[in-house]
Amino acid sequence: MKKSSYKLGILISLAVSAAIGCGRVDVPPPHVDTRQVLDDLGRNVEVPVKIERAISLAPSLTEMIFAVGAGDRLVGVTTYCDYPAETVAIEKVGDTQTPNIEKIIALKPQIVFVSTASQLEAFTKTLGEQGIAVYVTNPKTLDDVFRNLNQFGELFGQRESAQNFVFSLSARASFVRHQTNHDRSRLNDPIAKPRVFVQISREPLFTIGRESFLTEIVESAGGFSTTKNIATAYPKISKETALALAPDVIFLSDSEDNREPSEVFKNSPAVKNGRVYRINADIISRPGPRLVDALEEIAKDLRSTN
Amino acid sequence: MLIAALLIAVSVGSERLAFFDLSDTQRSILFDIRLPRVLLGACVGASLAAAGASLQALLRNPLAEPYLLGVSNGAALGTMLAFVFFEQFFFARPLFALAGAGLATFTVYQMARSRAGMNVERLVLSGVIVTTFLSSIIVLFTSLLDAARLRGFTFWLLGDLSQATMSGFYLTLAASVLGTIVLRSQARPLNLMMIGERDAMDFGVEVGRVRLIVFGIASLLVGTSVAASGSVGYVGLIVPHLVRLSVGSDNRLVVPLSAIAGAIFVVLADTVARTVIAPRELPVGAITALIGAPLFIYLLRRN
Repeated sequence: MKKSSYKLGILISLAVSAAIGCGRVDVPPPHVDTRQVLDDLGRNVEVPVKIERAISLAPSLTEMIFAVGAGDRLVGVTTYCDYPAETVAIEKVGDTQTPNIEKIIALKPQIVFVSTASQLEAFTKTLGEQGIAVYVTNPKTLDDVFRNLNQFGELFGQRESAQNFVFSLSARASFVRHQTNHDRSRLNDPIAKPRVFVQISREPLFTIGRESFLTEIVESAGGFSTTKNIATAYPKISKETALALAPDVIFLSDSEDNREPSEVFKNSPAVKNGRVYRINADIISRPGPRLVDALEEIAKDLRSTN
Repeated sequence: MLIAALLIAVSVGSERLAFFDLSDTQRSILFDIRLPRVLLGACVGASLAAAGASLQALLRNPLAEPYLLGVSNGAALGTMLAFVFFEQFFFARPLFALAGAGLATFTVYQMARSRAGMNVERLVLSGVIVTTFLSSIIVLFTSLLDAARLRGFTFWLLGDLSQATMSGFYLTLAASVLGTIVLRSQARPLNLMMIGERDAMDFGVEVGRVRLIVFGIASLLVGTSVAASGSVGYVGLIVPHLVRLSVGSDNRLVVPLSAIAGAIFVVLADTVARTVIAPRELPVGAITALIGAPLFIYLLRRN
């Protein structure tokens, strides 16, 4: 008796959760023409020829989709997506780490754009069963961002506007690179690169490492990233090592508790010479189109008082 | 042994130092960063182990450990609240941690008490319930905090000594020394209470008073160490166990020796945490759990 009532309980709770949990999904979607494309993980993704409804699961992707002129096709974005201003009006589907899959399915997108490979397998499978494509990007450098922008132009049928946009971005980026090279040849001193420390978080002390796209940005802007050989993208660094690095310039990813350089830098050339700069955390944390803004700003700061 | 451990810990780190010819930078690394951290580690280890040893004697349960009894999580939640609402006050953290630890201890104790007296299974169960309840509140808070602060907290929750400062060290030092002395003064009544509370009363022990002192001091010790370094687990469990295995169960020896052994354990564990993937770092709590859990299982099976 006890056992059967236990079973009944399970049945009821299953039925209730099923009733609450899913909408009606048994109706086959109307036929749309599709084509095969390769995403950044080398997966074959079947996407509609004409994408009308898309969801972005990262602020950088949202910015890129808007940049190629396809922002009006976005039906869902994350709670972190706050740029450009039009994103305010778009439905939120949770944050990047914990998107609400039911909400995503309810918005009936044809394609979902993802930027991290985390928890991807189960996620892709569930969406795949609903006839929703998952496209993964994995930008590691500024050139990857440009490539992603062109891919998005291609996907959304905005090839030309994307190409023009990428052209102007890469022109700005190469101007910065040209300028830093020019400075260096003028100084005729290859060691003159300022030693840079990027402080992502003050306490505990996090910085940028080998796998971060910011390492490339700092170097392109004419700096020497003192932490470029440390494994992973955003390592927690030993304070002893940080102190010994004695950077010439410190960049702070600007957030409430990261407004000042760590205590360990109090005798560093950067602090002594007042060469500590705050940079909008959004533009340096998102591998999107505004990374070029970050490059220009870092280059400008590195050139000042040189 | 403690001195040897301290010397080892001070002499290694992510930066190699030439001890007989220190440059300004190296002097700064040694005195501003490494030394406060090693000393704080020693105080935290001593506090947690002494608190663990006396709680185990008081509750007559070898599983009574600050982490398992919810005391650590109470302190963690308190610290978190202080951090969110009163970030600017230096003393808010330890005070809230102390209050959290005290409240958690009191709750667990009240839940475990029944008309028949203290029941061991009930105690552990209450501890687990309070711990998981507090954990879920902590998770709730971390979900509400923004991402940049979150990263700090997840590290800190696992026990992280990298935020050591001299002022934090002095406070923890004062607490650990005073706390251990007070707990040591209760060692004789605790010895009697280990036989049975009724027997202890017959010997003239004021059971209620001893209980209050031990709970209060244990909360103080756990509160100050959690405020300084997060929840470093397993120290209060494994260290008193090892001490009892080697010197028996006389609390006059177990309490002070646990404090010393706890200091050694945490200092060495943090040395590993600092150097094993240098210049990156691990939280010390990961190392103590990594050593503590298997060692505990081994000890359980051997007995």
